[in-house]
Order: sequence, then C-alpha cells, then structure tokens
Amino acid sequence: MRKARDLIFGTIAAVCAMAALAVLCGLVFVIARRGWPAMNVSFFTEQIRLVGASGGILWNLVGTVILLATAFLACTPFAIALALLERVWLRSHPARRWLRIALYTANGLPSIVFGIFGFIVFVQWCGWGKSWLAGGLVLAMSMLPTVTIVLIERIAAVPARYVEAAAGLGLRESQIVWAVLMRQSWGGLITGSLLGLARAAGETAPIMFTATIFAGATFPRAIAESPVLTLPYHIFILAQDSFDPAVGSKLWGTALVLLGLVFSLSLAALPSRLRIHEESNV
Amino acid sequence: MTRAFSWLLSLGALAALALLLGVFAWQSGPVWQHEGAGYVTGGKWFFRQHEFGALPMICGSVVVALVALIMAAPLGLGAAVFIAEYLPRRSRLAVKMLVELLAGVPSVVYGLLGILLLRDWVYETFERFDPLSGDTLLTAGILLAVMVLPTVVTLADDALRAVPATQRRAARALGLTRAEAIWSVCLPQARRGIGAALLLSLGRALGETIAVFLVVGRQDNNLPVQLLGAGQTLTSKLGGSETNIAYGDPLHWGAMMGLGLLLLLLTGAVTLLGSLKGRRDA
Repeated sequence: MRKARDLIFGTIAAVCAMAALAVLCGLVFVIARRGWPAMNVSFFTEQIRLVGASGGILWNLVGTVILLATAFLACTPFAIALALLERVWLRSHPARRWLRIALYTANGLPSIVFGIFGFIVFVQWCGWGKSWLAGGLVLAMSMLPTVTIVLIERIAAVPARYVEAAAGLGLRESQIVWAVLMRQSWGGLITGSLLGLARAAGETAPIMFTATIFAGATFPRAIAESPVLTLPYHIFILAQDSFDPAVGSKLWGTALVLLGLVFSLSLAALPSRLRIHEESNV
Repeated sequence: MTRAFSWLLSLGALAALALLLGVFAWQSGPVWQHEGAGYVTGGKWFFRQHEFGALPMICGSVVVALVALIMAAPLGLGAAVFIAEYLPRRSRLAVKMLVELLAGVPSVVYGLLGILLLRDWVYETFERFDPLSGDTLLTAGILLAVMVLPTVVTLADDALRAVPATQRRAARALGLTRAEAIWSVCLPQARRGIGAALLLSLGRALGETIAVFLVVGRQDNNLPVQLLGAGQTLTSKLGGSETNIAYGDPLHWGAMMGLGLLLLLLTGAVTLLGSLKGRRDA
C-alpha cells in the first residue's frame, strides 16, 4: 500500500514535469516551424514593405540593437554604484536592508509602469517625442535591479581572505574595490547585463509610448523626434490584424528572430550561472 | 573618489525610483479630488462624461492573475518536486537551465501565440457556453498561466533545494518512503519559500501587459462576472491608445495615472511580501 502510494506520487510529479516542459518546448517548436519558411538573407537585409507583407526586418533589428546598446551603457555605471553601495559602503549600516528591499521590489515592478514614466519624463517633459534615447533609458531603468542583484551576489562570493590580504598590504578601501572586488566580479556584471538585456530585448510595453513606431524610421540622427523600428513592436502591431497569409509568414519569422536573439543572450550568460549553481549546490 | 561617485550614482538611481512613485501619485491627484473613493469602487468609465470608476479593471486584473495562478501552481509545484527531489544532480541542472531559458520568452511572442492559436481553441472548446469571441478573461488567464509556469517551477525548486539534505536522510532512515519524506518533511519545511514563489509569480501575472492586452478583449465597464466574457485589466487599459489621448486633459490623464498607481501598489505589495517571505536577509 505504502509502496503503491510512493509510486503514484512519483508518477504524478513526473507527469507534471513532462507536461510543463512539453508545453514550453512545444510553443518554441511551433514558432520555429512557422517562422522557418520566412528565413532567408533578404529577410535580414531589406526594409519592410507593404505593411509587413513583403521585404525584411533590417531596421527593426538595427533599432532593437540600438535600444539594447543604449540600455547597457546607461545601466552599467548605476549597477556598479548600487552594488558597491550595498556590499562596501553600507557594510554595517541598517539602511543596507532597505536598499535590498528596494531592489527586490523594483525588480518586480511591471514594465508598463516604466513605459508610462518614460512617456511623462522624456517624451513630454523633456520634449523629446518618441526617441531611441528615451527607450534606451527606460529599458536601462527596468533592467537595473536585475543587473545589480546579480553583481551583488558575485561580489559577495569573492573570498574574504582576498580582501583581508589586500587590507593587510595597506590598500585603501577604493583600491581594494577596484583591484580586488571588481577585478573578481566583472563576470557578474556581464552575466547580469546579459540576463537583463535578454528580458529588455523582448519588452514591448516600456518602448511603445517612448521609442518605437511601426514603419518609416531608419537610423536615428538626433535625439528629439528620432524613433526607431523594433522587433517586438513589429510583432505587436502585426499580430493585431494579421489576416493576410503573406504577413503571417513574416510575422512568425520576426517572432523566431526575436526568440533567437533573446535565447542567445541568455545562453551567453549560462556558463557562469551554471558555475554559481554548481558552487552553491555541493 | 570611488566612494563619492558610488554614492552619487546610487542616490540618482534611488531618486529616479522615488520620482517614479511620486509622479504617479502626484499626476493622479485630479482624479482623486474629482471622484474620491468612488474611483476605486465605481464601475463605470466614460471619459467624455468625465466619469471614472476603476473597479472593473482592478477586478479584471485580480481575476485574470488568480486564474493563471490556480492553473500554474499545481502543475508547477508538481514539476518542481520532480526536478528537485527525483532527478539526479546533472540532469536537474540541465532541466532547470532549460526552464529558466523558457522563462525568457518575450510576452509579445506569447501574445502572438495567444491571438493566433489559443483564442480559436478557447472559442471552439467552450462553444456551448456561447462566448461572443475567443477574446475572454479565461483566454488571458490560460496564457498567463503558461507565462508564469517557468517562474513557479524554478523558484519552487530553489525553495525545495534549500531544505538540508540531512533532513531527507533522517526521514528516510526512519523508514519513510520517498513520497512520505517529501510530503511530510520537505514540503512543510519549504513552505515559506514556496509561498514566496507563488507570490512573486502572482506579481508577475498582475503586471503583465502585452500578452493580456492582445487576448483579453479590452471591453470597458464589464465587471468580471463570467470568465468567458471580454474584460479589461489595469495593464491592458494602460497599454491602450487611451494613454495617448488622455495626456492634455488633466482629469482624464489623472484617471489613467490612477490606474498606474493602483497597479504599482498592487504589484509592489505582492512582490514585497514575496521577497520578505522568501529571503530572511532581504
């Protein structure tokens, strides 16, 4: 009786795991199968024509890369500063706990909230209109907590004896920060940024009011009134009225490209995350 | 120098977060003056008549997120039990990485799948209940369930792995079967962590915009009394074109910002609770 119950319990758990993985892998498979026919060189080198029914997604790809690069550059100094504040400058201060709580809570804020905030501050108050810079800054805000948390964990993993040895050699605190703590933690910054960028690449809500339009933009040459085309917004608009089969194939193709971009960003972060997992699960 | 810069940039980042909260509170001022508490309890939203009641959107958000969690929680927990307790270490890591990779599928891609596949499926499956279309609260709930599933699995797995191995060994040494050990030792001990996993997933579901926007039907003034009807959530309202129309009219804009403020409070509270529950150091 107990043996039978043991078996049933294990089977139910196994079935749940299979079902969950099947659903998730299944949807990736659906996108890959439907998107594959659209893949060819001209899909990546031409601009869209006939409201997405013809041509390629060159400028959408370029626009997404511009936004991601901007977000990465804007996010990095703040992530380093916040991580150092948490790990070093607030080492034994009660405010450190509040900083952590703020980071975790900010990490859970919905991306649409950042989008509307960017709309008020950059688009309206700064008078930029839709601009690549506004979109990049909004994405930077939304990924900042993720990057900071990963970096904090990596700095926390630097062995205490390194810091003690450096202090014993008479290094000042700022020298210890750059020669020991950060020197050991650049990988964490990269991993965190890749994870943050993987999420930012697929975000539509933060950029739809601030940075992106559906057609008619190429490379931005100014800050104000310089929107870009992006992959997620392209899918978002076409998905809402996609009765033309020609649009359909391009649409799935765009989704496949976006998925590929997101997966390669998170796969690039994988090796170092795997190492952390291994270390923490011995 | 390092220290000063670190403080400066950190304070800048924290000021931006404070500004975000402040902007939503301040800009929603007019609607609180105009409607008072009726803004939260009112069921009618006619912006031309300057009548703003957010109750259908609040209920819509809560209903859709709960439907998602009710579907994702059992499946996700079962899968987590299998991954954490039954799989050997190497394959556990592999499956966990796969799940985390799938957690990164962009919401607009889920929206596309929802609009082109799930919508028709819901319409055909529930045809005898006479839904007006496939755009229903239930469709949004199912889609969100798939979206939060990887989050539930990976966080619940972390919670189960945090139970010390000695506890398992002691339970088995007392003659408990594997299932009994999991049921009466591991799960109770991981209760806090699992609760946190569910809360954080709920927070994600509440804040999700694009996928919900595409399949929820966006029908104003409908209290979500039946799941097979079109509805509106806080996020789908904010993501719509009304956000662009509203800027210019302080009262109407205030009403939109009020939705943002409600969303911030809702997700913020759930996430805060989740991260306080999950980590004792936070």
